[in-house]
Amino acid sequence: MPSNRVAISVQDLKKSYGDVHAVKGIDFEIQTGEVFGLLGPNGAGKTTTVEILEGLRPRSSGQVAVLGFDPDKQRQSLKDRIGVCLQATNLPEKIRVREALQVFSSFYSRHADLNQLLRRLQLEEKREAFYGTLSGGQKQRLALALALVNDPQLIFLDEPTTGLDPQVRVEIHSLLEELKQEHRTILMTTHYIEEAERLCDRVAIVDEGKIIALDTPSRLQQQSRNASSIVVTCTKPLPANRPAWAEVTQSALDSTGRTLTVHSRRPAATLVDLVKWIDQQGLELTDVHLKQPTLEDVFIELTGKSLRE
Amino acid sequence: MNTYKALIALDVKLALRQKSVLFFNYLFPLVFFFVFAQAFHAERGAGMTVVIAMVMIIGILGNGLFGAGMRAVQEREANILRRYKVTPISPAPLLIASTVTGWLIFMPYVFVMFGLAHFLYGMPWPKSMGSILIFVTVGIAGFRAIGLILAAVANSMQESQILIQLVYLPMLFLSGATFPLAMFPPWLLVITQFLPATYLVTGVEAMLMRDEGIVANMQPAAALLLTMVVGLFIAYKLFRWEKEEKIRNSAKLWLAVVLTPFLCLGLWQMHTKSNTEKTKILQRQLSRSDTFLIRSARIVVGDGAVIENGAVLVRGGKVAEVYEGNGPDPKAVNAEAVKPRERRSFPA
Repeated sequence: MPSNRVAISVQDLKKSYGDVHAVKGIDFEIQTGEVFGLLGPNGAGKTTTVEILEGLRPRSSGQVAVLGFDPDKQRQSLKDRIGVCLQATNLPEKIRVREALQVFSSFYSRHADLNQLLRRLQLEEKREAFYGTLSGGQKQRLALALALVNDPQLIFLDEPTTGLDPQVRVEIHSLLEELKQEHRTILMTTHYIEEAERLCDRVAIVDEGKIIALDTPSRLQQQSRNASSIVVTCTKPLPANRPAWAEVTQSALDSTGRTLTVHSRRPAATLVDLVKWIDQQGLELTDVHLKQPTLEDVFIELTGKSLRE
Repeated sequence: MNTYKALIALDVKLALRQKSVLFFNYLFPLVFFFVFAQAFHAERGAGMTVVIAMVMIIGILGNGLFGAGMRAVQEREANILRRYKVTPISPAPLLIASTVTGWLIFMPYVFVMFGLAHFLYGMPWPKSMGSILIFVTVGIAGFRAIGLILAAVANSMQESQILIQLVYLPMLFLSGATFPLAMFPPWLLVITQFLPATYLVTGVEAMLMRDEGIVANMQPAAALLLTMVVGLFIAYKLFRWEKEEKIRNSAKLWLAVVLTPFLCLGLWQMHTKSNTEKTKILQRQLSRSDTFLIRSARIVVGDGAVIENGAVLVRGGKVAEVYEGNGPDPKAVNAEAVKPRERRSFPA
């Protein structure tokens, strides 16, 4: 039995469509106030998992509790309590922003202040505009506003920034950070690594219907076998013979001979050794760059695939 | 209740913002109104009652089949229903709102039509207006439900267009809504009795021409009401929120279930022929109701006087006026000028 602190509990969740096994037995728990990310390529089973939790699809087997409700059996009660921002939804072209918020608000037992919501989503000026005249970013902001009309404590966001330009993505990120500060629980799926790194407290990497890694973004990065890399550039070509520095796994010069990339398990110590060696060679440094492994590196390492596949 | 009110208010606003809705609900039937009024010499006799019945049924068919059916499929195909799916509402408010909206949009048109008929063509206000409004209401409800069932069983926009046309065209051409039933051979008249629209046409005509009430048209009214209840229930059960959820082809048979009340009524009519008889009576009454100006007639007036070369104005089967000579201009009295083949005496 999940505790009150647990917003979502999933045990051995499976979903099949005939012979196709979309979700092959996954387990995770999301604490109240936590921002949890599901990361994975298309077809990994992220959306199916989220839609089962939202009460939109029945599961084949497994135990699921969302805010204490069973999404298969207490669908209406659950939907009344959560906020959902789906991928690829639409509204009628001739509905006004204000009307959309009013009509969706009428579906719920709890209501947020709609004027405040319009201000918060920067849609105040567009309150009388028809949906068909909104830009992609404004439509997505309205989708988020609709997910908040019932002032939900648990919000599902399915790829909330996919297809939006970087500027709008940044705006949406700021809003999600605000929601995070209000201690709302958020379950989001995303293709964007930087989104997960910036917003999520914990991330589950999903591939072929299974969770293959689950931790905080920083711990996942630390666990990566891929070492950090140091890139140094000098005014003149570096010598081809280099010493065997401790903890260095790999090093390579570029075609000009002036830029050296060194992979190390202890980048701080290696950087000191490297700068001393360059100084001993009588060379002058023009650039130094230290690169940590990203979630994308972790993802590629674990799945052998790119996230956008 | 708030949900229902909000959805109905939104549906009405959205409908009135759509040019196609305005065209098919108001302009298109109005064009038919004036064309039929011309063709049926609506200014003379009871022709206008037939025009109103025909045009009203054309409007109800469009409102129900295209207004409800096509729009529901469009919203599913455009991923609009998917947005509603994540909210706590069931399909019920969406279906009820669609039905009520159809009625709200159509009723002003009914009054506009009666106004035009009265003020432009001199048709008296109908005595059984209440019954007509009730009958039109169940008609819209029944046809909206048929439209929603068509939307429920169609898997794509293309499929819905085919299905809607398969229902719309026979009802448009075989119900008396465009061609008067009097033109049909007996075998075709039997087929027309299986179409819900036929009962709407004869029902409205009888209410206008013979001042019949809703009680005299209880059978078709009950069948339409049953169609609405069964239709809405099945539309609820088969409701799909997403275009990806396909329905098996055999589900299209649910349309036959919804039309079962009219299948029974058609079989009943094969036995009793009461509606066909009613059609004939209305046709006779219509012919009698015409206004004629018979010229070059020898007229024997009731007081014994004889007019050797006079004219008689016959309105609604009764002598309305007697004139010496050729009488007035037929157009001025909305009459058809008739000259007898041989000179006859008319008692007047």
